Amino acid sequence: MEESVITYNVFHHVAWGTSISVYFWLVGVSTGSFIISSLGWVFGIERYKSIALTASITAVVILLLVPSLLIWDLGQPLRFLYLLLPSYWHATGPMSWGSTFIFFYSIAIIVYSYFVIVNNPFWAKMIGIISVVLAILLELYTGVVMQLNPGRFLNNTALTPFLFLTGAFISGIGVLILVLWIQNMLVAIKVEWTLIEEMAKYMMFGLVFDLFLLFLDFMQTLYGDHGQVIGHEVVLMGVFRFPYLWLEIIIGLLIPFFILVSPLKKFKAGILLAALLVAVGVYGMRVWWVMGGQYLQTFY
Amino acid sequence: MQDKHEAHRSYGLQTAGSRGIAGTKRYAMVIDLRKCIGCRSCMVACKAEFGIPLGVWRTWVKEGDKGSYPNTRRIFMPRLCNHCDYPVCVRNCPTQATFKHKDGFVLQRYNRCIGCRTCMVACPYNARHLIPAKRTDKNLPTMVVDKCTFCIHRVKKGLVPSCVQACVGGARIFGDMNDPNSEVSKLASKETLTVLKPELGTSPSVSYIGGDWELMDEPHSYTNRSTQLKDEFNDFKRNHKGDAFGDIVEGEPTMPQVIANMNGFLHTIPHKAKGVFDSFVNFFFK
Ligand code: SF4
Ligand code: SF4
Repeated sequence: MEESVITYNVFHHVAWGTSISVYFWLVGVSTGSFIISSLGWVFGIERYKSIALTASITAVVILLLVPSLLIWDLGQPLRFLYLLLPSYWHATGPMSWGSTFIFFYSIAIIVYSYFVIVNNPFWAKMIGIISVVLAILLELYTGVVMQLNPGRFLNNTALTPFLFLTGAFISGIGVLILVLWIQNMLVAIKVEWTLIEEMAKYMMFGLVFDLFLLFLDFMQTLYGDHGQVIGHEVVLMGVFRFPYLWLEIIIGLLIPFFILVSPLKKFKAGILLAALLVAVGVYGMRVWWVMGGQYLQTFY
Repeated sequence: MQDKHEAHRSYGLQTAGSRGIAGTKRYAMVIDLRKCIGCRSCMVACKAEFGIPLGVWRTWVKEGDKGSYPNTRRIFMPRLCNHCDYPVCVRNCPTQATFKHKDGFVLQRYNRCIGCRTCMVACPYNARHLIPAKRTDKNLPTMVVDKCTFCIHRVKKGLVPSCVQACVGGARIFGDMNDPNSEVSKLASKETLTVLKPELGTSPSVSYIGGDWELMDEPHSYTNRSTQLKDEFNDFKRNHKGDAFGDIVEGEPTMPQVIANMNGFLHTIPHKAKGVFDSFVNFFFK
């Protein structure tokens, strides 16, 4: 093999940074938390009605942080309005769909929360159905916006939207469990611990599914095309090893999984720790997926 | 020649690819790497033509060394926007700020661009950049995305792009690929042309004669960087602040850099907020 070395190239940036990774995480937590909120009023599981309001308010509060991140991330912040103007809207751009979903999802979950507060089952269910659909679409879009970049070896896989959706579900439950625990300590209205244990069980199923998807992705990168193989070696196992291997897989998935299948799940502290680790771990995924996915190309 | 599958390929809402379609133009550039001497006149000409700020480029010349002593050779590869027939940047832009001209130019509308950098993420060729906030000529746009225009302002007057004009080796050749008498189509019929990342289906309009795999392959560009290039790039990332870019320095802990990156982003907010405030003042009071 002939030796060769690249001696000069101009420098390129990773175009999307931490603000976008935090945004993806927040949107995930909001939609995940909202889906739990809908279990009672939309899907008719009565015992979840007691936490519906806390869950939807958590979804709203977390979503409120999103516009500030997104708008200030733009080169021209005031022009965020263009994203909502019909004459600018671009049907083939995933972000056009995403901004539409965010806009309507925010309104829908606020209206839903109102009907939950005034105890109006009909409208809570109707608006709830719309909100659940929007929540799922919104979370899928965050994956699609990363997926539809054919030049990004690590992102350009059909698994991306599902990984984002599963991550959203488990991180949403994780944050919600922590919020409910704080609510139990501070407010007179208490949530039964058995309900939280049940949510932790859902979270565990999500963890297993996420691990399965990650395994498929691992196989793809390990035995994929040249870019994926090098991406696996230098991005996943190299520069982004901490967010990928440690934060996401070990801290965010494996440790909580072992907590939730061991006797530790009988202790409050065990479940709370698992919830915290899952929420933090999913952020690790957002970091390597957004910033790691673009890393290799900056040298091209 | 037109590929029979490509004739029917539509591209979302965008202008269909024009390569090989009768009655249309398909402007293209062929870069004959046998003639490139790596003088970078094209880079200078491009910078001068558009007053491009420091740190960003519309065209550049990548360079490498190959072979083992004493049989070695220095290799070059000019790079620019490929004006793809099926441009991912155009497809993904949420505001239609970037669009495809019927003659094949992929162009940018600064007044529509919101600076979201979706197109930079989408472009497989690093052909786009965000114009920095500070620019010598205050009348030129800032903080929107920019790219090569194939010098449409010159081409429409019958001139060739500035980089082609400046190329001392005559390595850059420009013309209409759909015109059988143009120099580019004659070259296309007699030489072997290669394009960057053909597997992505972007159908680039910039092709190379005598392209070296070492410079054309993306993973190879990473694995075979010289130590100096690696150090310089790491310095560049380390010293870069703000604009919310997600650069991570190799060999240093990742998460502190992610946090520092967030910090950089937060520091840009007051400047951007001032810009928003100024826009309001200009709009309502001037
Ligand atoms: S090279 Fe990049 S910027 Fe140029 S047309 Fe193709 S995808 Fe767009
Ligand atoms: S930065 Fe401008 S051109 Fe690029 S995708 Fe965003 S709006 Fe479109």
